[in-house]
Amino acid sequence: MDPSIWNVTAPAVGSAFFASLVEVVEAFTIVLAVGTLRGWRAAATGTVTALGVLAALIALLGPLLGEIPLQILQLVIGILLLLFGMGWLRKAILRAAGILPLHDEEAIFSTESAQLRGSGVSGQGTLDWMATMTAFKAVLLEGLEVVFIVIAVGAGGGLLWPASLGALAACLVILAVGIVIHKPLARVPENTLKFAVGVMLSAFGTFWTGEGLGIPWPGQDLALPVFAGLFLGVALVTVSVLRRPLAELAR
Amino acid sequence: MSVIADVLRELFAMFLADGWLTAGVLLLVAAIAVLIGAFQIMPLLGGVVLLIGCLALLVGAAGREAKRRSAQGS
Repeated sequence: MDPSIWNVTAPAVGSAFFASLVEVVEAFTIVLAVGTLRGWRAAATGTVTALGVLAALIALLGPLLGEIPLQILQLVIGILLLLFGMGWLRKAILRAAGILPLHDEEAIFSTESAQLRGSGVSGQGTLDWMATMTAFKAVLLEGLEVVFIVIAVGAGGGLLWPASLGALAACLVILAVGIVIHKPLARVPENTLKFAVGVMLSAFGTFWTGEGLGIPWPGQDLALPVFAGLFLGVALVTVSVLRRPLAELAR
Repeated sequence: MSVIADVLRELFAMFLADGWLTAGVLLLVAAIAVLIGAFQIMPLLGGVVLLIGCLALLVGAAGREAKRRSAQGS
């Protein structure tokens, strides 16, 4: 079996899947609030319209990426991945250390529900624009991150389709679980997923930025899991160091 | 207009949420490009600097935010 499947393809698909899982859970919470309080017609219209805009974005950007020389593409995407991935990892470290509060889907659901209850409802038979826009914005904004992650982990290594399938699988998983339990998915270990994806995206970012700069990584693709291990180790040590002062204060 | 503003805000937050981290990454990559291109250092050495630099920036960014928040809390 081609070793690059384990060194590059699996991490790329896994990153797209888990990152999408995090984003889709966040969008699902708001769509659920819209559907429950203001009707599923508005929720579905907003969601489908946003998915259409995102699909158009991919259809527009996909062919353009093929026109850019690979080394420049790897450098630009590598830098964007470093900014995005290290941003996620920094936030996940701060949350794991107890410095930032954890993401709370039930609290978000309550806040969103209160806002929807407070706003006016349009007459029966007409589309509830306020609710539709709420669902549209939630799916569009969370979906933007999914589109970026899919393009970023996919385009640099010619893995756009496998990464897209990873993201699609995450959407289907959340949709299936959401239909069954019909409440906010509060038990998804959001910060653990964000931590893992931050590690992978930072590793991909370092790898592709280096490739874009003409750096010949020893072992080529094998460098990727090594980078991921280093980011993970340093992030875990940082969490334990940042946690200590809090524990000392509590004593 | 509010949707466009929200999209722009989201894009800004995606890449530029921590100005210190963003500036650090961009400066690090630019410095390595100059070292490899103009000063002809071994590319692999540039790779080592990139990796260690990114790890240091990550620790620095997390530590900086922790210190800022603890100063606000005290």
